[in-house]
Amino acid sequence: MQNQEFIRSHVLVIGSGGAGVRAAIEASGSGTCVLLSRTIVGKGGCTIMAEGGFNAVMNEADNVSDHFADTMKGGAYLNDPELVRVLTEEAPARINDLIAWGAVFDVTDSCTLCQRPFGGQCFPRTCYAGDRTGHEMMITLMERLSQTSVKVYHEISVFDLILSQGRVIGAFGLDRKGKLYVFIADATVIATGGGTRVYDISTNSTSGTGDGYAMAWRAGAELIDMEQVQFHPTGAVYPWDARGRLVTEAVRGEGGVLKNSLGERFMEKYDPDRMELSTRDVVARACATEIQEGRGTPHGGVWLDVSHLPAKQIEERLPVMLEQFLKYGVDIRTEPMEVAPTAHHIMGGLRIDPFCQTTLPGLYACGEAAGGVHGANRLGGNALAETQVFGKRAGSMAGTEPEHEINSNQEQVDSAKMMLEGYLTGDVSPDMVKFDLQRIMWHGAGIFRTKKMLEETRIALDALSRKKLKAVDPSGFISCCTTRNMIDTARLIVTGALLREESRGAHVRTDVIQDWDNQSSPFGHTILTRTGATIERRKA
Amino acid sequence: MMNITVTISRFNPDTDEEPRMESWTVEMEEGARVLHVLDKIHTLDPTLAYRSSCHAGQCGSCAVRVNGEPALACTKEASDGMVIEPLNLPVIKDLMVDLVPGINAIPRFHSSECGTLPTLEDVSKIKPLRDCIECLSCVSVCPAMRVTDFLGPTSMRSQMRIALDPREPGNRIREAITQGLFTCTSCNRCWRVCPKNIETPGKAIEKLREIANREGLTLPRHQEVAELVRTTGRSVESGKHTFLDLVDEVIEPYGEVKREVGFFCGCMFNARLPERAMDMLEVMRHAGIRVIIPKTQVCCGSPLIRTGQTSFIDELKDKNIRAFQERGITTVMTMCAGCGATLKNDYDTPFEVKDVSEILSETGLPPLTKVPITATYHDPCHLKNGQQITREPREILVTAVDKFVEMPAYCCGSGGGVRSGMPDEAAALGELRRAEINKTGADVVVTICPFCEYHIQEHSDRPVKNLMTVLVEALGKKPTEL
Repeated sequence: MQNQEFIRSHVLVIGSGGAGVRAAIEASGSGTCVLLSRTIVGKGGCTIMAEGGFNAVMNEADNVSDHFADTMKGGAYLNDPELVRVLTEEAPARINDLIAWGAVFDVTDSCTLCQRPFGGQCFPRTCYAGDRTGHEMMITLMERLSQTSVKVYHEISVFDLILSQGRVIGAFGLDRKGKLYVFIADATVIATGGGTRVYDISTNSTSGTGDGYAMAWRAGAELIDMEQVQFHPTGAVYPWDARGRLVTEAVRGEGGVLKNSLGERFMEKYDPDRMELSTRDVVARACATEIQEGRGTPHGGVWLDVSHLPAKQIEERLPVMLEQFLKYGVDIRTEPMEVAPTAHHIMGGLRIDPFCQTTLPGLYACGEAAGGVHGANRLGGNALAETQVFGKRAGSMAGTEPEHEINSNQEQVDSAKMMLEGYLTGDVSPDMVKFDLQRIMWHGAGIFRTKKMLEETRIALDALSRKKLKAVDPSGFISCCTTRNMIDTARLIVTGALLREESRGAHVRTDVIQDWDNQSSPFGHTILTRTGATIERRKA
Repeated sequence: MMNITVTISRFNPDTDEEPRMESWTVEMEEGARVLHVLDKIHTLDPTLAYRSSCHAGQCGSCAVRVNGEPALACTKEASDGMVIEPLNLPVIKDLMVDLVPGINAIPRFHSSECGTLPTLEDVSKIKPLRDCIECLSCVSVCPAMRVTDFLGPTSMRSQMRIALDPREPGNRIREAITQGLFTCTSCNRCWRVCPKNIETPGKAIEKLREIANREGLTLPRHQEVAELVRTTGRSVESGKHTFLDLVDEVIEPYGEVKREVGFFCGCMFNARLPERAMDMLEVMRHAGIRVIIPKTQVCCGSPLIRTGQTSFIDELKDKNIRAFQERGITTVMTMCAGCGATLKNDYDTPFEVKDVSEILSETGLPPLTKVPITATYHDPCHLKNGQQITREPREILVTAVDKFVEMPAYCCGSGGGVRSGMPDEAAALGELRRAEINKTGADVVVTICPFCEYHIQEHSDRPVKNLMTVLVEALGKKPTEL
């Protein structure tokens, strides 16, 4: 094992998507800040590939209480109302930050921000930059970051948090060659994004492996609602290796229609009022049902069609979609797309208060790694808003942590080294374990769930977790650690799914017959900690 | 399912002296991308190093060279027999290159803290420059960066985006100049390899040079050229003979008229290398093509557009368009790659514009006797990148000489005002051509562009010939001498 490197800062931010970079920008105002990323900073995470938009009340005819109500209703009232209040109140100011920093959002000819309708909204409040909104945000954030004193570490993968007397004092990281880095900080911010790469079909980037959930859970933090996994209704189905790739909701926002193989606009059967712009949980189940019942397309999807729209509208508002499909031989100006549900977003995550404090002292969380903002189903356009609202809060609050005298915990360093070295004598390829895990999760903890399936899945995951992962040399440590985190994340999802004996939002238990609706549900959050798992019961 | 055999460049700087090529055969699904092939190989050899993140062409992590050309691994379709190499940047390991210094070098917008929105007009101008995913494919191919301190194409793209944004507090044109604004040869290679198809030379570099021009910062040598065009209509001073003085307005072919074209001769062929244009006319006479040469044509304006001196460009365009339109010409033939690219990309013409090699390919070559030489071909950038023509000149050359050998395509350094304005850079690039030419072992270097011919001749141990001159020889005639 090569010698480790120690890096001390006031604030440590883990993850370089929208939330992490926003947190680092904010934290840099109150002392030294380290931002680290498993990718080149700014290229990782899912923000950069987010397409559709950013929800914020920017029009006098709209109001924050409507944004609040839409978000709560869309989230099946499982959201933490205080977090939703913060999200909806602060989203406009955060989009204005981006504009001051140079973001180029689409504007109207009367010099206001363009807004398009997304699912589950009573007012079109999704601001956008074509269909590359997240990319626009990331380059803006990176430009801003370059003007701060944040110390950036590229291509460092964090695999465990470091604890001292019940307090998080930093994290262990690995570089590409397998060298150990010990990051010590007064406050640590987890902005590691989501984890739907645990599914075979997923929209997530390579980094969507749930590392933040797994590390924080192992460190003793509380996680909530991990069973709430959003399946986006429209992922690509062809080519096979690129299946799951996101086809933005903006396609439907711009007027795209869904049809089955019989040419029926099937949303009439599932939500005749909102049709294609129903919430994602509803549309995803509708698509899955059509496919399951034999009304699917040749590649096992449904049709998503914008060919009735003017070509110019498609070219200007959906340029990335147009370009991507052209690369796969489909001209969406004249032909329909084939789409099917794909694992997209984990609504659950680290339990936070409105200041992004987790249940562990010294540990903050923001973005998709945190839970509670979206309840049981996230509205399209609320995730980009969340990254900025809670990224800023996390960075700002982490910056206010007093300086602690920290003695790095040599015992933990030694045990981390021992774990890593153990991988050199493992016998199973982490790539193979990932492959199995993704299939197990897709079939056993997907859109429609039963107790029996989930129990079988749990047993299969337990078996995977007992395998001895192999690194052929230290450069393979990262892959082993990531796989371990994926297994832990998958188990959290399944544990939550078994605990929640109801259908609520994205979580559907076909084996449970319930006589309550979302508002009268007897259940609150599922709460998962290292020492136990439970579901909150609401008072009648 | 299909079997795909790929060759991958492997290199670990800690243990290897130099990269080695390694072959793999893997079974892939229909439509698989290069990245999927790499992922598959990774399951068999977890030490293979490469990057990927978004899988959707948006993060710019995964650019590699596929069969020599930069491409995003996540969007480029895999093909049997492909060769995958890292971008031409410092290699960290295998396909992973050091991107961070290049990304950090890109000039960044200065936050103004003023939240005013840009207007719709501002946004529509900025947007085409905003798609950059910082994959550095452009940086990996830029010739100017090889021999000067040029900060690179995407940095100039960023400077133009900044210049267009009313929120940017300062004027940064002087910064762009110190970063190498005038070192770009306008070879357009950056545009052709850009996965987002950003036309950096035309939409950023030339536009920044226009701003520099308005601020009086155009290089003196470039100003002289502009003055010459303004006063004479030509960018090259007349020598003993000019082509337009020497020839009749209509040149009839020897036999049946198969086709009629108008000829746009350009300043270099008119005043400095009229012999080459005369050779071309001889080829046309044999090929059955009637050539009409309007004498009222003037400089196409390329030397002005490339250097940002566009104040009277519309007058030149009008004159040239009228010269051909008045004679009812529907096809205008160019022989100078720079004029051709300009008429095709910078003009809105009521006639079609074709390079001489396109015309000959379409109409057919007269019977030729192969010249007993080994020839290599230098791709003029304004033909290869500006007009995307590479096949036709090679096909013609192959029929005209005994032996043809390839040479890697690379800018010779004469374009974009660099030969006049940055002679050291132009010479350094010319010397790189010399090295490549020598490696081919060819007797003769053939090209079409008069700028390339003139410049490479100064940096070559072998004679440089115009393709038309070679064709005249293959017709059994003597090339024109004046």
